[in-house]
Amino acid sequence: MAQIFDRNSNALARMSLVLTGLIVIALGVTLDQLQRSPWVTRQGQRADQPVPFSHKHHVQGLGLQCQYCHTTVEKSSYAGIPPTKTCMNCHSQIWTNAQLLEPVRQSWATGKSINWTRVHDLPDFAYFNHEIHVNKGMGCATCHGRVDQMPLMYAQNTLQMEWCLDCHRNPSKNIRPTSQIYNMAWEKPSSERPVWCAVKDGKNDAPTAQSVDCVTKDPKDSGPQVALMQTAADKGMATDAPAAMLPAALNYQKFDSQDALGHFLVKQYKIRTPHDLTSCEVCHR
Amino acid sequence: MSNLTSSVGIGPEANGNNFMGSSVDNENKNPQSANSAPATPVSMSLVQVREKLKNVKGKRYWRSVDELANTQEFQAAVEREFPAAAQEWVDPVSRRGFMKLMGASMALAGLAGCAKQPDEPIYPYVKAPEDLVLGKPNYFATAFPFATGALPTLIKADSFRPIKVDGNPEHPYNVGSSDVFAQGSLLDLYDPDRSQKSTYDGEERQFTEFAQSLRHAATESKDGTGIYFLSATVTSPTLARQWSEVQKAFPKAKLVQYDPAVAGTALTGSTSTQYALADADVIVSLDADFLSGATYPGFHKLVRDYATRRKSPGTLNRLYAIESSTTTTGMKAEHRLGLRASEIPAFTAALAAAVGASGASAPSYSWTAEQQKFLASLAKDLKAHAGKSAVIPGLYQDPSVTALAAAINQALGNTGKTVLVSSQPVNPLPSDQIADIKALVADLNAGKVDWLVMLNTNPIYNAPADLEFASAFNKAKITAHLGSHLDETGQIADWHIPAAHSLESWSDARAYDGTVSIVQPLIDPLYSGKTSHHVFQALLNQPLLSPYDAVRETAKTSIKGDFETGWRKALHDGWIDGTAFDATKTSTDVAIKGQVPTPSSKDAIEIIFRPDPNVYDGRYSNVGWLQELPKPVTNLSWDNAAIVSGATLTKLGVEEDDILEITVNGRKVKAPVIVAPGHADNSVTVYLGYGRQFAGRVGSGAGFNAYLIRSTDAPFYATGSVKKIEGKWGLAVTKSHFQDHRGEKFGQQGNGNNSLEADEAIGERGIIRYATLDEYKQHPGFANEGEGHEKTEMGTSMFPNWNYTEGNAWGLSIDMNSCTGCNACIVGCYAENNIAVVGKQQVRIGRNMQWLRIDTYFEGDLSAPRAHFQPMTCQHCENAPCEQVCPVGATIHTPEGLNSMVYNRCVGTRYCSNNCPYKVRRFNFLLFSDFETESLKLMRNPDVSVRSRGVMEKCSYCVQRIQAVKIESDKENRTIRDGEIQTACQQACPAQAITFGNLNDRNSRVAKLRADERTYQVLADINTRPRTTYVAAVINPNSELEESPVEHAPAKG
Repeated sequence: MAQIFDRNSNALARMSLVLTGLIVIALGVTLDQLQRSPWVTRQGQRADQPVPFSHKHHVQGLGLQCQYCHTTVEKSSYAGIPPTKTCMNCHSQIWTNAQLLEPVRQSWATGKSINWTRVHDLPDFAYFNHEIHVNKGMGCATCHGRVDQMPLMYAQNTLQMEWCLDCHRNPSKNIRPTSQIYNMAWEKPSSERPVWCAVKDGKNDAPTAQSVDCVTKDPKDSGPQVALMQTAADKGMATDAPAAMLPAALNYQKFDSQDALGHFLVKQYKIRTPHDLTSCEVCHR
Repeated sequence: MSNLTSSVGIGPEANGNNFMGSSVDNENKNPQSANSAPATPVSMSLVQVREKLKNVKGKRYWRSVDELANTQEFQAAVEREFPAAAQEWVDPVSRRGFMKLMGASMALAGLAGCAKQPDEPIYPYVKAPEDLVLGKPNYFATAFPFATGALPTLIKADSFRPIKVDGNPEHPYNVGSSDVFAQGSLLDLYDPDRSQKSTYDGEERQFTEFAQSLRHAATESKDGTGIYFLSATVTSPTLARQWSEVQKAFPKAKLVQYDPAVAGTALTGSTSTQYALADADVIVSLDADFLSGATYPGFHKLVRDYATRRKSPGTLNRLYAIESSTTTTGMKAEHRLGLRASEIPAFTAALAAAVGASGASAPSYSWTAEQQKFLASLAKDLKAHAGKSAVIPGLYQDPSVTALAAAINQALGNTGKTVLVSSQPVNPLPSDQIADIKALVADLNAGKVDWLVMLNTNPIYNAPADLEFASAFNKAKITAHLGSHLDETGQIADWHIPAAHSLESWSDARAYDGTVSIVQPLIDPLYSGKTSHHVFQALLNQPLLSPYDAVRETAKTSIKGDFETGWRKALHDGWIDGTAFDATKTSTDVAIKGQVPTPSSKDAIEIIFRPDPNVYDGRYSNVGWLQELPKPVTNLSWDNAAIVSGATLTKLGVEEDDILEITVNGRKVKAPVIVAPGHADNSVTVYLGYGRQFAGRVGSGAGFNAYLIRSTDAPFYATGSVKKIEGKWGLAVTKSHFQDHRGEKFGQQGNGNNSLEADEAIGERGIIRYATLDEYKQHPGFANEGEGHEKTEMGTSMFPNWNYTEGNAWGLSIDMNSCTGCNACIVGCYAENNIAVVGKQQVRIGRNMQWLRIDTYFEGDLSAPRAHFQPMTCQHCENAPCEQVCPVGATIHTPEGLNSMVYNRCVGTRYCSNNCPYKVRRFNFLLFSDFETESLKLMRNPDVSVRSRGVMEKCSYCVQRIQAVKIESDKENRTIRDGEIQTACQQACPAQAITFGNLNDRNSRVAKLRADERTYQVLADINTRPRTTYVAAVINPNSELEESPVEHAPAKG
């Protein structure tokens, strides 16, 4: 009986085995990439919104402070989406006939909510809390990116669990002085732009935001100054005590790297250990 | 003796079909395999059980009669993780079909994980409420009106939706505790079956049309002739005032109050009695069930005072209970005498005579020697504690018992000390409800009734059977019904008006201690419901005056000082200052009217009527949490039953779950039979409130209607007859659930059974530990002495030890001496943790989802047992068996020692539950959570995930509350204060039996309790190192009554 397969088939068989392996691997890699891709995470995508609201215009252009709209970011898990009333505070005076603002006026007239599409959408089984992050030195821009440069809102980060854990495993690489939380332009300290921080005396039970004072100019040269783009105290946000009230005798320490500053702040702000922060019940319950 | 689990073999493939089951199941197939029970146990008769118990020395505990008899069925149940069929595939899909589906879903499983989330909209406010912080709850003080006295409550509201009802922690009456009804009222509010529109003759109408026609009719009649109101007991002072104004305008209009669970009791009297149990050394309950629920007035305070004295062995009180039906009060008593209901008045009279109460003479009755001894010792003990004792009469007893109890208290000098009588009633319009409803029916039959307006009452369902209310009802010209549901009465009334829930309306009410609380709405009426206030106001000068204004008007008489300030303070605090009863010291004129009724013949069968501990008189029938809640003592859910003693069961020749036909005065009802250990012989207890036709999707059709045999002349107990009829009922009893089976080689006893509940009887594991006061004095460390009770300090484990020396280490302590088994904790847990209701069939196969259960361990003779209530929930073991077997890391240990579930990791292998020695894990076998019904979405706790099918869940120590407090304390850079975190069960507990806190904080209450010498851990010998500990009970028996002292310390192994 003649052989069904000739010798060449051996090579074919080997090749198909290898090929199958490659296909399986390729499939795995594809799915893995797909799972992390903006198609799934919506990272960087600009959703259709009823009003093309520009954070860039309002924050960078007009200098609105974050909490003017997101009022509960320091006191609740939810930062808050402004009610129509907040828009109308200004837009009953300016741009009163702009076509773009028609949905806002409509909402105001009818009492029906503006129907936004959520941009930063965590799964419902993840219990994220804004207040603790903001109170412990996580700036808005760390997660949300340079919102002041976004004409249309999009998610800067994936908001996937690995991204959360990346920071929860080592918060010191992102932590900043609480006086800088709302500073969109904050940059990590370097040897060119060092940060000086001092611990105010002794009161351990003082809320985090008031126990540490950080400045961006050498306090020996120019006296203490709150490192802010705007004067924080005027806006009623998480801040160090006003500069004028700082006792002169504070012992400032110079930090010229994020690593050094991060470790200092993690200790001073009593950030829980990575072991604690990565425990499941922190976000899932 | 039947076994309930044995009759459960439902499902198409009851025999086998194990592919969903665990390996344990497979082992069970073959009796010769590894689990090899010692010898096939033989089912025993009751006589044999008694024999067996006689020979038992030492303390033996049992959970059900089956367990006691060690029947085959029980053995079989022990060998299963979940009861029969719990692990079976009951969906009508063949195995082959399942495999096909399975294959397809496996292929898709990977992709499903990558599914994109749908776009989620945000609807911001147009104008935001000023004081609302989204994501943070608000709390409002109000009150839960109830016929036995209002419960001051503090409601948690999320975005102005009430999501949790709890007691008001600042109120002097209940200090934060609550009960099953108050907790369940939340689900009652969001019940999707509530009636949603006003109708006339089935057509939708407006309330104003009703109000106008009622007003018109009243005006036409000039003096109100022919206008009748039938109302549930009026609890609101404002409503009483409105009624008195209606009467002024229309003097012939009539108001009849009728509440089936209140009519004929002391609650309708014009005085009220309070007991200061904190000062009572000896407490006597004369058929008074004051420890098991808010059916008894003053429950919250009575339990707290009772329990306060039981926290330390130095302050123990002593409780005697003389009762007909087995209740938790009797089970907690040091000495309990089971008497038939009709014997109790005579016994009370004899007791009154024995303590020398004026005017009382003992009727001649042949008491048994045991009863005489009990009486003599009780009288002696009472006299020895004159002025420091309290005799509490039952609500559902002959009025002579109340009078005699007052006389006894007077004679002992308790009145004014432990017994405080006030000249004011809790409910503002005392009346003879039974006489009134009789008169109403007479007027109906005489055709005198033009308008019958029924306010929050359901007489078609619950009026006494002898009145034949339904036929009289048709003779009224126009009938109107204000009710939360389109119930039996609402179905046939001409007008139906949806009633507003107490969380939706303005009103007021008095608590047991007399303090007036303002009932304020937490939410706009969901279905534009109205209240009785609206109806009465419609007849007055300002018909559109809102209940808010009416309540303010009433409050003007009780608020002192500046009204607006006082009003705001009352709303904020939850009560009006200075309105508590002046608990007078005046001796009441105790007149024992008439003859004390003689007991019925000893062979006659007595039928005892009691409101249900869960659904009360039927008003909470449609509250799934309460339906599914296992009733105290019997652990029966979803049904009521004819509750009898073991001896009566034998006498009747029936088995549990058989159906009895109960006949009283020719009226019949069919009821399933169930045994309550210690129940009086020749007596049958039936709970009211079941057998509803139009309760809603949950309550309709559950149980049987005991009102059908209840009449006006014998509202509390009647003589009747019972006979067995064919068939089985199919009761859902949770008692035999959650029994563990483990292989012989791991068992120290070598009998293959080392389980929590089941094995206590078979091989002692020291799950229940207690001592009498004398034993305690000799062996203060009794809880941790003796074989099997040693404290286990095993540092060794093959698993790495966690380091808990820094930060928080959460722990829970449960005081076994305080817990009265009232179930408030379980319903609190339902509400806090979004626990699903599964339905009767699922409970029958052991799939009930309560995270917390109260194990009832009976001890001693079947006819006169003592019981121990042990709340059992996740023990949060430091060395947790569940964590070690989870293949996907879905149950993990947190640095603070919580044993935490990650629902979205869980793939449903159920290995964890299999390996849990405490059997506290609950598995979503089916999609039990309701993701569809809109109204229920409003109710859920937003801080807790709603679990879907195929996910394991269990007690989390209310981790969401821990996290919330941690965030708050971290923000303030401080440690968490002791008591800052309360678990939901702890918060609800009226006995303050549960304490939660940080074990690393030496000064925390929980750490102190843990260091107490009486503290023990359940199953500590298997090195699980549970974080939950129990404080062993110390009881204080009267040495005269103590029968042959049980061998105790050091305890038997």
